[in-house]
Amino acid sequence: MHVDLKKEVTRSSAGRFGIAAFALIVLLAIFAPLLAGYDPIGQSAHSFLAPSWSHLLGTNHVGQDIWSQLVYGARTSLLVGISVALLSTLLGAVVGTSAALIGGTYDSIVMRIVDALIVIPIIIVLILVAAYLRPSMWTIILLLSLLGWQGGARIVRAQALSLKEEMHVAAARSFGAGTLYLMYRHIVPDLSPILLVDFIYSMRRAVFMEAGLAFIGIADPNVVSWGVMMREALEYSYLNVWAWWLLPAGIALSLLIVSVTFIGHSAEPVMDPRLGGEASA
Amino acid sequence: MRILSKRNVLTYAVALLLILSLNFILPRLMPGDPLAAIYGREALVQMSPQLQAELVQRFSLDQALWQQLGSYFAALFHGDLGYSYYYNAPVFDVILGRLPWTLLLVGLSLILSTALGVVLGIESGWRRGTRTDRSMLAGLMALNGFPDFFVGIVLLLVFGVILGVLPLAGAMTPYSGLSGGALVLDVLKHLALPLASLTLAHLAGGYLLTRNTMITVLKEPYMLTARAKGLSQRLLKYRHAGRNSMLPVITMTGIWLGRVVTGTLFIEIVFSYPGLGYLTYEALLFRDYAIIQGVLLLVAVFVLAANFLVDLSYAKLDPRVSYAR
Repeated sequence: MHVDLKKEVTRSSAGRFGIAAFALIVLLAIFAPLLAGYDPIGQSAHSFLAPSWSHLLGTNHVGQDIWSQLVYGARTSLLVGISVALLSTLLGAVVGTSAALIGGTYDSIVMRIVDALIVIPIIIVLILVAAYLRPSMWTIILLLSLLGWQGGARIVRAQALSLKEEMHVAAARSFGAGTLYLMYRHIVPDLSPILLVDFIYSMRRAVFMEAGLAFIGIADPNVVSWGVMMREALEYSYLNVWAWWLLPAGIALSLLIVSVTFIGHSAEPVMDPRLGGEASA
Repeated sequence: MRILSKRNVLTYAVALLLILSLNFILPRLMPGDPLAAIYGREALVQMSPQLQAELVQRFSLDQALWQQLGSYFAALFHGDLGYSYYYNAPVFDVILGRLPWTLLLVGLSLILSTALGVVLGIESGWRRGTRTDRSMLAGLMALNGFPDFFVGIVLLLVFGVILGVLPLAGAMTPYSGLSGGALVLDVLKHLALPLASLTLAHLAGGYLLTRNTMITVLKEPYMLTARAKGLSQRLLKYRHAGRNSMLPVITMTGIWLGRVVTGTLFIEIVFSYPGLGYLTYEALLFRDYAIIQGVLLLVAVFVLAANFLVDLSYAKLDPRVSYAR
């Protein structure tokens, strides 16, 4: 389990591209107030202005500066992506390791719930819940996390089961180490590469889901989101505004998801070192 | 075999129970009048008092919670998924009317993307490490990263808006009175863009899987034997290696089958294609909760059935599976 994730990812050109693109978007999000120039939700000019030096990507149907929206949209996508990834990876790790270590009835109950959550069409559940709650961004983060940990839990459990049989864990157990101690002292550190890959894929799914939900109208009205931008821009597809409104939002979102995909894909050998460079481009 | 099915049946039961309790409890957790919570305030305005009274009576909404639960199950048992206020029809009928469009779209795209993905995967894996292989891999992986609704939007912009050669929305020209060949052509024209988007969006899955298996298969001793026999390149590639690389793809397609609605949701919305995905979207817009609940339940049943079939066929295709689990 001693594989260097950083080395693994930067070894392939796809991985390096992923890191570079992701870093670019992170910088965009961090320096959003400096780069934007306008309040992304305030009306800054007339509507449907074409791109110019004062409005790099023009303005939208209510006169908001599109470039500022694009820059602030990066914050929303990253914030949702990272928060959901953190929460759901944590949940998956706790459920997976505890199921593996405790075993017995607890294990079978928990794993049936995991399997059930895997086959349930999550997106429709989200739509139903959102239709009732009209959620804020933090509610969306919470919902995505609560409905997104099951895949990770299954992988973590499988790995923890095999770790449990390893010599040093068995030794610690024979010295009287409890389940909790074993979990955070022995199992979780050895699981970290797997948790990282789980984190990356959770983030990818969360970014996609946030944008997708926003695209169909489930979004916090006080937050700028690339999905909302695409939704609004699509309604005016008969005007020529899509070139600087719809496309930049779509490309930014795609770039983020592609970069995370590339990072994840090149980090995958960590999960199964036998694959070696097989999967890398 | 017995262990396998018992475990799965339990899983399916838990999944169904989760969805049923979500459908039952969620509206009843909302504050206020249960009828308003279940159907939404917008719906109540449009309902006649008779219909309201009938619904209250049918679902025992003026009774205790456990009696409501009883009525809820009794109604479900009769295939009664509730009433859609927006379409002014039973939910079940509304869903049934939309199902053919989704099946058409998904069925065709499933066939196309699987076939194309397998062929590309075989060719790419065969040329492993070459320039062609590496550019195909990078290209398809990038495509895999594009959100499906953006793929749809780009196609819509190029062919619908810029070139103007294909229709932007719907499944056929309304009130056109077309019939026969013209009607089929019209339907195909409307189908082209959503079908292409969906196929492109799901191409990478089959491709990556086939390519990976292909690479492993090519190392097998029987490939060396086949080569030594002097078989032609084409036979080697497709008959020997390709065929063996297809098994995992079949499994994946089976799993995909269960995601019919969730997979097409965004594409149907982009093209206003009148399938189940677009129906869900309309229901969300008009807060027609009964429709969303009905879709959720039916889709879940569909997913479970597909999973069950995959499990069954798997155990049949490969007897080792039933022992391994």
